[in-house]
Amino acid sequence: MENETREKFIIPIGPQHPALKEPGHFEFSVDGETVTGATVRLGYVHRGIEKAAEERNWVQDLYLLERICGICSHAHALAYSLGVEKLAGVTAPPRAQAIRQLVAELERVHSHLLWLGVSAHEAGFDTLFMFSWRDRETIMDVLEGLTGNRVNYSVNVLGGVKADIDDARADAIRRGIDFLEERTQHYLKIATSDETFLRRTRGVGYTSREQAEELGLVGPTARAANVARDVRVDVPYAAYTDFPVQMTLDTRGDLEARFVVRIRELFESYRVVRQILDRLPAGELTARMPRRIKEGETVSRIEAPRGELFYFIKSNGSDKPERIKVRTPSICNFAVVTGTAKGHQLADMPMILAGMDPCFSCNDR
Amino acid sequence: MATILGKKWDEALEQVKTWARVNSPWAIHFNSGSCNGCDIEILATVTPRYDLERFGVKLQGSPRHADILICTGPVTLQARDRLKRVYEQMPEPKFVVAVGSCAISGGVFQGCYGVVGHIDQVIPVDAYIPGCPPRPEAIIDGLVKLLGSLQAKGEATAGEARHDSATAHS
Amino acid sequence: MSTEATLQTAQALLAPWTKGARAPEPDRLDVLIDAADLTAAVQTLHDARWGYLAAITALDYLGKTASFAQDARWQALMASGRVPADGAPLEALYFFAAGRAIVTLRMLLPREGAAIASICGILPSASFFERELSEMFGITVTETPDPNHLFLPENWPAGVHPLRKDFAPGRQ
Repeated sequence: MENETREKFIIPIGPQHPALKEPGHFEFSVDGETVTGATVRLGYVHRGIEKAAEERNWVQDLYLLERICGICSHAHALAYSLGVEKLAGVTAPPRAQAIRQLVAELERVHSHLLWLGVSAHEAGFDTLFMFSWRDRETIMDVLEGLTGNRVNYSVNVLGGVKADIDDARADAIRRGIDFLEERTQHYLKIATSDETFLRRTRGVGYTSREQAEELGLVGPTARAANVARDVRVDVPYAAYTDFPVQMTLDTRGDLEARFVVRIRELFESYRVVRQILDRLPAGELTARMPRRIKEGETVSRIEAPRGELFYFIKSNGSDKPERIKVRTPSICNFAVVTGTAKGHQLADMPMILAGMDPCFSCNDR
Repeated sequence: MATILGKKWDEALEQVKTWARVNSPWAIHFNSGSCNGCDIEILATVTPRYDLERFGVKLQGSPRHADILICTGPVTLQARDRLKRVYEQMPEPKFVVAVGSCAISGGVFQGCYGVVGHIDQVIPVDAYIPGCPPRPEAIIDGLVKLLGSLQAKGEATAGEARHDSATAHS
Repeated sequence: MSTEATLQTAQALLAPWTKGARAPEPDRLDVLIDAADLTAAVQTLHDARWGYLAAITALDYLGKTASFAQDARWQALMASGRVPADGAPLEALYFFAAGRAIVTLRMLLPREGAAIASICGILPSASFFERELSEMFGITVTETPDPNHLFLPENWPAGVHPLRKDFAPGRQ
């Protein structure tokens, strides 16, 4: 009876809030410090990219779609290029595909290290934030050396890539990877043994495997709950058939598992990057693409750092696409916040949110 | 006597304020529709390699404590009012830095239905840092230039204060 | 299970509602169904634990009605008298993925008063997709748990749907 008469408090967070690096709006209803429900409001960075893509030509769209997200720009450009090439009946040369995969894995390293820092910051562990971002600069140097830009590398063109790798470059990448591998060992140790950190992660934001499937989670967030789903393994694209990756799974389903899965994925990325550098196929970088793309529809799926990225592309035979649908991984993963918030302390919310590695600009488009 | 003290007092106060402002400006970052590219580069500037804090610049959360508003991205329909509100909440004097091509001109998002324009169509901008995204060095350079102009402005205001008090008390 | 076998399983499961099927690509199957059968079809896939919901979107066929002349769903829609002779339809697309295989449920909807039943009762994760579908294409999703705007502002004009072909940006 008393509970019923008790007033319900709603704590709004965002769109501009110190705990959010990007604008989103959350409303947590609380009873004392305990969260009883959560809702999310998106669209603060909704620009209307899907519509704009219909008004620009196939080549312009590559640069527009790359700017859906500055963190996983290569993932968007790659999914789009692979889809358009499939529609046109063109296959990029093997060397181009290998370089695409190489950049995709380097991007995953940069994205996961970025996320590690941001979520450590949410946990109040700023030392780890500073360390991981210092080390992340290594990968930024590698990407810059390879592509000419730190962010939005635009390494893809329709039909191939525009960056090549020579021996000196390959050695520079190897040196960077060697250094990062050593550092990543250290991060894994912190994420699994630091007592104060574990108190913020162990058992927090738990989802069972069934729940993760029901919520429709994707990527590392799902794999941390033992959902064996990774596009790189299930539907190998680019050069993933020649340079396969192992799926990283964890059975625990809590925040700690999400940390462990992402950090372990880094080792897998390092291994694959070395493998590609050692066995990089020789040959051309681009194949010829027509300006107009044959009429048709295709689905292009790739594994972005945050999970499955889904592109549906429809061509009407002109030099502009008829429709491009982008379903980003973050929009699937938001369910982990609304779905697991109940019963947690309000102070855990930033950690749970950071634990899914949200990307509002991917989501809102 | 009072005239002389008033003059000196106003002048000294202005100088102290400018000194404090130029040496430890607090900045707030607002993303009004950016792709995150500029945002992660801004965040990179406060991390060890670039370390913006050696110039006394501190990124923090509340607009009410901020001297500088660092804006990224084009302005979206939903962000316009928030951007204005954040700007209005900042105490005077306040300075706005537009970071990145989109903040300056709308960039690649020009013509999207969700985009109302660029930053200086909504709030006045003091410094522009171009790039897609600008390198952390460029962001630091832009901020340092802004601080340099504040110093110059501060000296001018101190001069004005000298002039004002002289006219007020004469 | 091979991709072909997975697709055949889906085809068999969806047979009761199938008005037509085609394979646009080797690992894809498009199943044409009536909008009224959506929940039943989704329920069947869900009960058989066939794949997961990958995305929901729609297409606007403004000015392209001719391509539907042979489509049973279009004829049914015309026969129902709900569509003016030149009223180009919308088509809702529900993508389900299982490994390499992708099944797309495709439903034609009249341009005016397009409505489709919510599948959130079966797959709660569809909520965001349904909100996006309704604001971007003006397809009413009946009984969806949260019918509010997802991306568009609260003060967005009613009846304006950005991803329809007759929406031209740059108004303001």
